Amino acid sequence: MLLSLLFLIGSLATTIAISALADSHSDYHEQLLLRPLHPSLLLASFNFQSNTSLTSFNQQNFRYFPRSLGQILQHANTRELHLRFSLGRWDAENWGARPWGGAREGGTGVELWAWVEAETDDEADQRWLTLTNALSGLFCASLNFIDSTRTTRPVVSFHPSGNHSNSTLSNLHLLHGTLPREVVCTENLTPFLKLLPCKGKAGISSLLDGHKLFDASWQSMSIDVRPICSPGADDCQLQITQTIDMVLDLQRSKRPRDNPIPRPVPQEELKCDTSKPYHSDDTCFPLDAASQEEEFSLSHIFGHSLRGTCPLANDGAPSVCINVPHAREVYASEGAREEKDSSGYMRCFQLSPDKDFDMVLPQQEISEKAPLAQPLLYAERSFIGYGQERGGVQAILTNPSPTDAVDFVYMESLPWFMKLYLHTLKAKINGQDKDTIKEMYYRPALDRKRGTQLEVRILIPANSTLVLTYDFEKAILRYTEYPPDANRGFDIAPAVITIGDVSIRTTSLLLPLPTPDFSMPYNVIILTSTVMALSFGFIFNLLVRRFVAMDEADQWDVRAIRLKFAATIRRLARRFKKYEKIQKTE
Amino acid sequence: MSRLLSSASLLRRDPRLLKVPPYLSLLCVVIGIAWLLLLPLDDYSRKTYISENALLPGQVHTYFAGSDQNVFRGYKREVDALEDRSNIEVNDKLEEFFKASGLKVARQRYEYKSAGETYAGENIYAILHAPRGDATEAIVLVGAWRNVDGVLNRSGVALVLTLARYFKRWSLWSKDIIFLISADSRAGPQAWVDAYHDTHQSPSIESLPLKSGALQGAVVIDYPFDHRFESLHVVYDGINGQLPNLDLLNTVVAIASGQMGIPTSLQQMWQHSDTYKDRLQTMLRGMLNQGLGHASGPHSSFIPYHVDAITLQPYGEGWQDEMAMGRVIESTFRSLNNLLEHLHQSFFFYLLMQANRFVSIGTYLPSAMLVAVNFTIMAIFLWLKSGSPVEKKKPSPSALIREKPLAQIQGMDDVKAKALIPEDTLTVRERELFLPLSVVAGSQFLGVLPLYIFNHTSEQMLTPVFAIFAILNSIFPYILSTALIRYFSPTTQQYQLIKSFSLLLLGMFLSALATLNFSLAFLVGLFAAPLTYVEPFPRRPITTVGFALLLSLLAPTVVLLAGTYYWQLGVAEVLKEAAFGWDVWGMNTQVVVWCVWWPSWVVGMILLFGRPREEGTDGKKVAS
Repeated sequence: MLLSLLFLIGSLATTIAISALADSHSDYHEQLLLRPLHPSLLLASFNFQSNTSLTSFNQQNFRYFPRSLGQILQHANTRELHLRFSLGRWDAENWGARPWGGAREGGTGVELWAWVEAETDDEADQRWLTLTNALSGLFCASLNFIDSTRTTRPVVSFHPSGNHSNSTLSNLHLLHGTLPREVVCTENLTPFLKLLPCKGKAGISSLLDGHKLFDASWQSMSIDVRPICSPGADDCQLQITQTIDMVLDLQRSKRPRDNPIPRPVPQEELKCDTSKPYHSDDTCFPLDAASQEEEFSLSHIFGHSLRGTCPLANDGAPSVCINVPHAREVYASEGAREEKDSSGYMRCFQLSPDKDFDMVLPQQEISEKAPLAQPLLYAERSFIGYGQERGGVQAILTNPSPTDAVDFVYMESLPWFMKLYLHTLKAKINGQDKDTIKEMYYRPALDRKRGTQLEVRILIPANSTLVLTYDFEKAILRYTEYPPDANRGFDIAPAVITIGDVSIRTTSLLLPLPTPDFSMPYNVIILTSTVMALSFGFIFNLLVRRFVAMDEADQWDVRAIRLKFAATIRRLARRFKKYEKIQKTE
Repeated sequence: MSRLLSSASLLRRDPRLLKVPPYLSLLCVVIGIAWLLLLPLDDYSRKTYISENALLPGQVHTYFAGSDQNVFRGYKREVDALEDRSNIEVNDKLEEFFKASGLKVARQRYEYKSAGETYAGENIYAILHAPRGDATEAIVLVGAWRNVDGVLNRSGVALVLTLARYFKRWSLWSKDIIFLISADSRAGPQAWVDAYHDTHQSPSIESLPLKSGALQGAVVIDYPFDHRFESLHVVYDGINGQLPNLDLLNTVVAIASGQMGIPTSLQQMWQHSDTYKDRLQTMLRGMLNQGLGHASGPHSSFIPYHVDAITLQPYGEGWQDEMAMGRVIESTFRSLNNLLEHLHQSFFFYLLMQANRFVSIGTYLPSAMLVAVNFTIMAIFLWLKSGSPVEKKKPSPSALIREKPLAQIQGMDDVKAKALIPEDTLTVRERELFLPLSVVAGSQFLGVLPLYIFNHTSEQMLTPVFAIFAILNSIFPYILSTALIRYFSPTTQQYQLIKSFSLLLLGMFLSALATLNFSLAFLVGLFAAPLTYVEPFPRRPITTVGFALLLSLLAPTVVLLAGTYYWQLGVAEVLKEAAFGWDVWGMNTQVVVWCVWWPSWVVGMILLFGRPREEGTDGKKVAS
C-alpha cells in the first residue's frame, strides 16, 4: 500500500516535471479576423495554432496537441498532414483574394493530403489506408472512401510546408485524395472543435456554432500538422494549425432563429426610390441598399457574444481583429482594449479574460472601404457539350494583372470513368493558339484501379485570358457501381491551381453518365420475389401440412376436448394401477 | 420438323394465302387509326401522377405577396417605359436592375441568318448563386422580352425581375438560379442554350462569359398583358416533337390547380369539358404540333439538351393577379429545388389529352407502327410475287398431278419424310434488280434537291420557287414514267420490284421515326397510305385517273398548300418558318418530308403512269 502510494507520488512528480519542460516548448494562439465584404457579407477567419516539441510528441506526451489526432499520425507514420472540409464557392470577383492565399482551403467536400514515411510505395499505400480510415472515424466523414481510384500522387502541385530532415525526406510519399461529394456539416464540426484546447467553451471558438457556420455562403475548415525546425534550435517543433473561414450573409444571419422566413417586409419599411415619377403607395421602385454599410454586432451574427478568452492562449496577442477603415465606428464591450494599426484599415481588441465580449458596428454612410487584395488569377471551369457519350471541359483562367505574367500549375484528378483524350488538350490565349504549356505530368487512368492525374505548367501573360479545353469520353459503369442516386451524376473534384504559395480551387462539376433504367431491375426483383414467395408458400404448405378429408378431421369442440381429457386421465390411471400391481407382485 | 417444312413450302404458294397481304395491310391501317381514336377513352388513358417523390409539388407555403407587389408594379412601370427602346438600351437598364438585386449579370450577342433575313439580338442573364452551393446544378427562369407573337412580355419580364429580387432573400436554394431575358422568343433562347453547352457557331453567336452548372429545368413566363387572368396555358412541345419529362408538367399542373386554384389548359383548348371530343381534339392538336416539330415557345430550345422546360402563359379575364402567377413560379422552383437527381422518373414519351390525363408510349406506339407495318407487309408480298412464275391459265395442282404424273413432280428427299410438290412452286423467277434499284435510289437522292432549295432560298423568292416546284412536281412524275417506258420499258416484275423497294424503305423509315417522333411518323404514314395500292393499271383508265387525282391531292406540296389555306397562313411564311427551324433550331421535319415521303410519292406516281411490257415466257427458271 505504502509502496503504491510512493509510486503514485513519484509518477505525479515526473508528470509535473515533464509538463513544465513541455511548457517551455509549447504554446497556443488563437485569433479571429473579421473582414466585411461587398455586398453586406462578412468574412470571419478563425485561426488556432499550437506548437509542441517533436520530442515530447514522440514520447506520447501531448499537451495542446490533440491526443486522438497525434496517435493516429504516429500510427500511420504521417509526417505532415493537411485536411480540408469546404462548402460553397468563393466569389473572387466581389470578394477579392482568398484568405490565407488559398493555402487553408480545399475543394468542395473533403480534401486530404499527407506526407507518409514509408520504404516502398506499397507500404505508403498501406499507411495511407490506415490514415484515411482512422481520420474517417475521428471526423465522422467518409474519408474511408478515399481508395486507390481517388488517390493521386501529385508531382509538382504540392510541396511539404514543414521542415523535414534529408533522411526522412527521401522516404516521404505524398498522397492526395478528394471527396467532392461529401457534404460537410455539424457532425464534422463537433470533432473539429474537440481538438481545440478550449473545446469551443471559451475564447473565440465559443462563437462557432453549426447553425451559423453551415449557413455561410462559403466556409472552409482546415487542419494542418507540420514539423518546424528553426536553424539554430536543436529540437524541432510540431505545429498544428486549425482554421475556420466563413463568409456570412449579414442579412441572413441577422434573421431571428425562430422566424427565419424572409417574408415580404411591411409596406412602410420598404425602401423605395421616391424620385421616380410613378412612386406612390402601391408602386415602388426598390432602392439599392449597397451604398450603406450594414449594421451588425458579433452577438447578432453569431447568435451570442464571445465568452471571455481561452485561458490557455498564453501569448498575449490580441484575439479579435477587424479589417475596416479607421473612420468606421466600432463599439466594443467594456474591458476590451482597442489597438489601431498604422495601415489605417485594421484594428484589434485585447479581450479581458473573464468578461463576455461583443462588438457593434452601427449603420454608417461611408464611402471609404478597406482595400481588397486582388487575386492573382480568376479561374472558372465548366463542362461543354452534351449527350451520353462524350463531353468536354473548359477552364477559363484570367490574369487580371496588367504587368505581371503568372506561372502556375493546373492539376486535375479525374475519376477513371471520365476518359480523357490528351491529344485534345488545348490552351488558347486570348483566342489564339499559342504554345503556353511548359510542362506536363500525366498519369493515365486504369479502369477501376486509379484515376487520371494531369498536371500542367502554364505561363499566362499579363492581362490575358487562357482557355484550356479537353475532351473526354464517358465510360459505362457496371450497374452495381452506380450510387443510389445514379441520375444525379458524378461529382468531379475541383482543379487545383498552384501559383507558388497561393493556391486556387475551381468549383466541382457534376458529370452525368449514361444511366440504366434502375426501375427495371427493381421491378424484376419485386416480381421474382413475389413469385418466389408464392411458390415457397405453396411448397412449404405441401411439405408440412397433412391433408385429410373434412369428415376425417378432428372435431375441435368442447365435448371432444372433455372426452380426450377424460381418456388421458383414464390412461394415466390405468398405467398407475399397472405400476402398483407390478410393485405388489414384487 | 421436315414435315412441317415441306408443308410450309406448300403453303407458301397457296394462292389463297397470296391473296391475304393487301387486305392485311389495309387492316393494319384501319386498326392503326382506330387504335388512335380509342386512346382518349378512360380505359386506354391514365390519370397523371407525380413519379418523382422528391418534387413534393404544392407542399410549401409561398410568401411571394405583400409589399413585393409594390416592387412588381415599380418594375412594370420601368419595363413599360422601355417598350420602344433598342435592345441594347433595354439591356443596359435590365443589367442595372439585376445588379441592384445583387446578382451577377452577363450578356450575349447573337446573329442568325436564315431565308435571306438576319435575326440578331442580345440576351441578358443574371445568375443567383445558390447560397451554400457550388455551381454544380442550375435551374433557369426565362422571360423573353418579346413573346412568340412579337408582343412585349411586359408583366412577364417585370415578374422575372421581381422574383430575382425575391429569390435572392432565400437561403434554401440548392441550385443556382439563372434569370434569362432573351431578346426574342425564337432565336434568343436557342443562341443562349447552344452557347451554354458550347455547341454554338462563333463568332456570329458569342460564348457565354458567365456559366453555372448542369441545367436541371427551365420555366418560361409568357405574360404579355397587364390585367388579371383566369387560367394558365401550359406549352410543352419541344423541337422535333421532343417533350419534357411529364413530372415537370405534372408539378406545374398540381401546383396551379391544386395549390393555387388556377385552372390549367393545354394546346390552346380554352374550353375543355372532359368529353371524348375535347380529349381527342387536345391530343390531335398536340400531335400536330409535335409532328410539325417547330418550337412552340422559348422553352422548346432547351429540350434537345435534355433540359426539361415548359412555358406558362396566363390567359383569359379572371381574378388571378400577377402575384398568383409569381407564387406558381415560386412553388415550382421550390419543387425543382428539391430534386436530388435529374428528372428521370416519369415519361418522356406521352400524349396528353387533358392537363391530368395522358397515354404513355407503350399504349400509343402500336398505332403508328401498324401504319408503318402496312408498307412493310406489302413490300414483302410484292417481293414474293415478283419471284413467282408468270400467271397462266393452268389447271389446279391436283389436276396437274393427275395429268403428268411424274414429269414435273420433284421428290423432296429427306431421311424421314417425303412430300410431293409441284415443281412450279419451288422455282423462283430471276428478279431483274438493276432498274428498280436505280429508280428507287434515284428518287431518294432527288429528295435532297427540294430540301436544299427550300432551306436556302431567300424569303422573297420562296413563293415563286414554291409555285414553280409545285407545278413541276405535278408533271415531273408523268414525264419520268414516260421516259422510263420509252427507254427501258419495264416489265410487270420490275414495276413490282420498284414498288416493293420503295415501300420497304418507307416502312423502315416510318417505324424507326415512330420511336423518335410518333406524331410525324403517323401523319406521314397516313398521307402515304394510298401508295400501298398504287400499281400500273394499263387497261383501266378510270382507276388510273381516280388514283392520279387522289395522289395529287396527297402530294406533299398540295398538303402543304391545304394546310396553309386552312390555317390562313402564307406559303412563304410557312416555308420561311421551316427554313428558320432548319437553320436555327435544328428542326428536321423537312428531311422527313423531302427525303422519305416525297420520294415514295414520286415512285407511286411513276408506277401509276407505268405501262408494263408484255412478257414472254422466257423468264429463266432457277431452282430455289
